[in-house]
Amino acid sequence: MNLRTLIKYWHTVLVVTEMTLRMNFMEPFVIFTVLIQPIVIALLGLWMLQGRGAEGAIFVVVGSGLTGLWSSLLFISGNSINIERWIGTLEFLVGLPTPFEVIVFGKNLANVLQSLGAMILGYVIAALFFGYSLTIEQPLLFALSVLFTVLGFVSFGLVIAPIFVMNPGVQGWQNAMEFPVYVLCGFLFPVALLPGWTTPISYLLPPYWAAVALHGTSTGGATFEQTLLAWGMLVLFSILDLLIASRLFTLMLYKARADATLGLE
Amino acid sequence: MNAIEVSHLRRVFKTYIGVIRRTAKEVVAVEDISFSIRDGELFGLLGPNGAGKTTTVKMLTTLLIPNSGTATVRGFDVVKDAQEIRKRIGFIFGGERGLYWRLSGIDNLRYFASLYGVDPDVSKKRIAYLLDLVGLNGRGNEKVGGYSRGMMQRLHVARTLLHDPEVLFLDEPTIGLDPVGAREFRQVILDLQSQNKTILLTTHYMFEADALCDRVAVIDRGRIVALDSPSGLKSQVRDMSVVEVELFGLPQDMLDGLRTLPFVDSLSVEDHEQRQILMIQTARGAEAVPDVLSALGGLKIGRVIVREPTLEDAYVRLVGGKA
Repeated sequence: MNLRTLIKYWHTVLVVTEMTLRMNFMEPFVIFTVLIQPIVIALLGLWMLQGRGAEGAIFVVVGSGLTGLWSSLLFISGNSINIERWIGTLEFLVGLPTPFEVIVFGKNLANVLQSLGAMILGYVIAALFFGYSLTIEQPLLFALSVLFTVLGFVSFGLVIAPIFVMNPGVQGWQNAMEFPVYVLCGFLFPVALLPGWTTPISYLLPPYWAAVALHGTSTGGATFEQTLLAWGMLVLFSILDLLIASRLFTLMLYKARADATLGLE
Repeated sequence: MNAIEVSHLRRVFKTYIGVIRRTAKEVVAVEDISFSIRDGELFGLLGPNGAGKTTTVKMLTTLLIPNSGTATVRGFDVVKDAQEIRKRIGFIFGGERGLYWRLSGIDNLRYFASLYGVDPDVSKKRIAYLLDLVGLNGRGNEKVGGYSRGMMQRLHVARTLLHDPEVLFLDEPTIGLDPVGAREFRQVILDLQSQNKTILLTTHYMFEADALCDRVAVIDRGRIVALDSPSGLKSQVRDMSVVEVELFGLPQDMLDGLRTLPFVDSLSVEDHEQRQILMIQTARGAEAVPDVLSALGGLKIGRVIVREPTLEDAYVRLVGGKA
């Protein structure tokens, strides 16, 4: 792939992201998943941890944002291909010269970016309703952590979406996958509170490393080495996910063309 | 050079019956199809529902993989060179689906232009030109959800022309359009042909195929049963006449009885709410009328006419009077 093609694909990703964002903000389910639910979680968390000071509050704000990111990835990015099938656009998208992965990448990017809005809203709520003066302890490292988190979540979404298309049985477990990840990845409380045997499972989940990086840099509770390790793991998982996704997309599209499952009829 | 070459294409679908004891059943959608379409030709594919038209189009547009046989579009194989073909083709499937209803017409086009790899500077001008071409000028900023079916079809045409494709596949593009909309749409198709586009059109409307197509393939039960120009197909029934009888209720057993009469070559029935038009193809012409009326004894009969056969009659004869 040459630079010109790469620039062209990047432009396509941006257009897909823009259009997906515009459509998502007219969809009540999306608004609930990426904004309302995380805000409810933030409100409850902030209320329960009122006596814990600003450090506890910033943990809740970032954590509730992470819940929005994960729910968005699971329900919206996970269904991104199926939604195209339901509205009858899948055949048109697959029949285009742009690789389908590029389109889904743009859609996932939109889903992840809109979820970051929940984090900002949580921050505003903590300041306005609970009177916290919240500061991000390591702003530059936090910004970089957000960047790696976006990459990690978008890439993970590229693995989940074709799996859900090819295995409707797995998709049936979508609801059951939401809360365990909140817990196992330490979104709302540290994983150190969990039994030791769960830790290896957490290490295998990219959202865990996003939580380590974002919580660590926002509260200032992580050393630079710990943050660096979290970034490294996010990059590693992203590369791994992109490689797996590339294979899965090829397989899914071939299977869809062979089994005639692109359309609904 | 031929724009499309199809050789012994076959496609089978597997369906499953039962819940506990699931048994697989094979449905042959395309049995054995071969044809070629010349550069710049407007080629029609006619056939009853389930004949294999859409399946053929989907294989040629790389959306389905054939079980056997080969097909090329502009020299590229539909299985191995799917990406190359996708750059060169545009396709429409009749109906309202396939657009983003929450976006405006212009945003839909901007989105697809980007996906077709059209340069952003070029796409702006191209979108304005296409909206004008399909008669949606001034409506492009409205949300697609508020469009009529005809407007959506026009937007589909604009979408499919964004990257200026060499070959177009139009699968029943006028289905559901009102007569004026369908007529305007046919003009758009003719305009496209005048731009030297190769067009494969599937349709149920014989007059449409007659008016538009250079050549027509009649497909039935997954096989091509005739391939000729519309006038060539009509000449196949030149020795026939059509007796048309207006009826107000036609029992099935009487229809079955009519089919067995020796002078009936083929027959079809058109339903028009409470009345039916029975069309009988026969070599006996007006002489067959008394026998037909006698076979319909007891039924309320309206007008009776004897006329020359049309492309539709040729089609009915070719597909065995199932239309």
